[in-house]
Amino acid sequence: MKGLILVLLGALAAGTAAVHVEGLRGGSAPGYHLLYLPSGRSLKALTLGYEGLAADLIYIWSIQYYSNYQIQDRYDYLDQIYRRVIAELDPHFLDPYLVGSMIMSVEANRDDLALKLLDTGTRNNPHEWILPFQAGFLCYNKLHDYACAKDYFQRAQAVPGAPAPVRRLYAEMYNRLGDKRTSLRYWAEIHDTADTDYVRQVSWMHVHDLKIEVDLDDLNAIVRRYHEEHGAPPAGLQALVRAGLLESVPLDPDGNPYTLSPDGATVRSQARRLLQGR
Amino acid sequence: MTRIWAIASNTFREAIRDRILYLLLVFALLFMGFSQILSLLTVGGEEKIIKDVGLACISLFGVLTSVFIGVALVSKEIERRTIYTIVSKPIHRYEFLLGKYFGLVLTLFVNTSVMTAWYYLILFLKGFADPRLLLAIGLIFMELLLITAFAILFSSFSTPILSTLFSLSLYLVGHLTWSLNLLQERLKGAGGRAICRFLYFALPNLEIFNVKAEVVHQLPIPATLPLWALLYLVGYGGAVLAAACLILRRRDFT
Repeated sequence: MKGLILVLLGALAAGTAAVHVEGLRGGSAPGYHLLYLPSGRSLKALTLGYEGLAADLIYIWSIQYYSNYQIQDRYDYLDQIYRRVIAELDPHFLDPYLVGSMIMSVEANRDDLALKLLDTGTRNNPHEWILPFQAGFLCYNKLHDYACAKDYFQRAQAVPGAPAPVRRLYAEMYNRLGDKRTSLRYWAEIHDTADTDYVRQVSWMHVHDLKIEVDLDDLNAIVRRYHEEHGAPPAGLQALVRAGLLESVPLDPDGNPYTLSPDGATVRSQARRLLQGR
Repeated sequence: MTRIWAIASNTFREAIRDRILYLLLVFALLFMGFSQILSLLTVGGEEKIIKDVGLACISLFGVLTSVFIGVALVSKEIERRTIYTIVSKPIHRYEFLLGKYFGLVLTLFVNTSVMTAWYYLILFLKGFADPRLLLAIGLIFMELLLITAFAILFSSFSTPILSTLFSLSLYLVGHLTWSLNLLQERLKGAGGRAICRFLYFALPNLEIFNVKAEVVHQLPIPATLPLWALLYLVGYGGAVLAAACLILRRRDFT
């Protein structure tokens, strides 16, 4: 009986002390001390060949920590945890790059850190398309930096096994940058090599609209040249053929001829833009 | 050979009656099962986490088994004075030691096989079973054999507690020898660098047996690596066991 009382008293004392210490720490988040870990390279020495497991455990902790919205300053060590600790412990662990960059960009609004983390991941895993793809998507969708997005999508689509949407986004980035001719070339390639009706249909809409815009650019340039050479605008597109500037009047993708405005200054197309309003 | 086998089978029977073995085995199996709960707490990476935890359990609990049982093998015989009876029989001391070693190897083989079967059951149920993991487990087993040789060496001249400390320290050193290469690069004197170089090759390099990351991430592993690792085990392990035999031969049990 005395023994049982002693056990109960001991448990009570230990429990009180534990709760008190918890209070003294001001309700710090569980495992907050992991924020001050040294770099993964130094930690590797301490893991004795279990660096993969160490990376798993720190990653699992980071998910719990960064999803705790009560911690006000939780984003202070994002780069340290994901890029310096987890990525150095296990450079081939892809999920921390993807989830870490998402937390950095969406939650902490630190797109610079997200891109840095994804760059590190791409350097460590050159055969993975998903990392440059995610970086490209961040540049495209959030930063609207299409040149940056184009570079990342180019890297992603060059990786063997990269899915078709990467190529489509790469083609579209040229369009966003104003290089419609290159965009048309890539979209036409996608259309010609499409293996599903969906891809064929989507790529055709891009080819259709881009072809019209490229044709209009070309025709308008010829109209301007005609104007310069003859001192007056052409009376119609046939005049360009007669002047030897065109072999024949081109047709738009719907099979209709382009037309010249009444003042002879600009070429127009009657074709409906398939992507308009999408 | 018959005498070695007789001692080995007896050692095996003795080891499988040891409670430590079952305690470690149960912990290993529990931890492997626990990996499923861990994987619930993550976003993605479930397969990697289950594979990492499983391989770590097989390795870590295997090391603990080989050290805790290995250090007691010879020293217990000396402590209980049963070795006096054995050496009075027509048996060489190296036969006694090799018998002890192979008995523990057999125990470790059974132990590792049970853990592997449990591990594969979990992987199979989750749809993550991958035959390449067997390569990592095979190399872990080789590592255990080398550690066992050291445990027996230490137990041939020291007490079980000291032998345990020596063996665990050796495990630490074996996974840190690469740092000698780093140190060598920083040293300016030729003498210091030569010492580092010598220690790098003289101390056991247990990282040779570590392909866990490569297997989990499906990275290429040189085809000849397992053979070189086997040669390293046979060479180094053989030398350690020979040293243990020499020490035991010099001891007076009369």
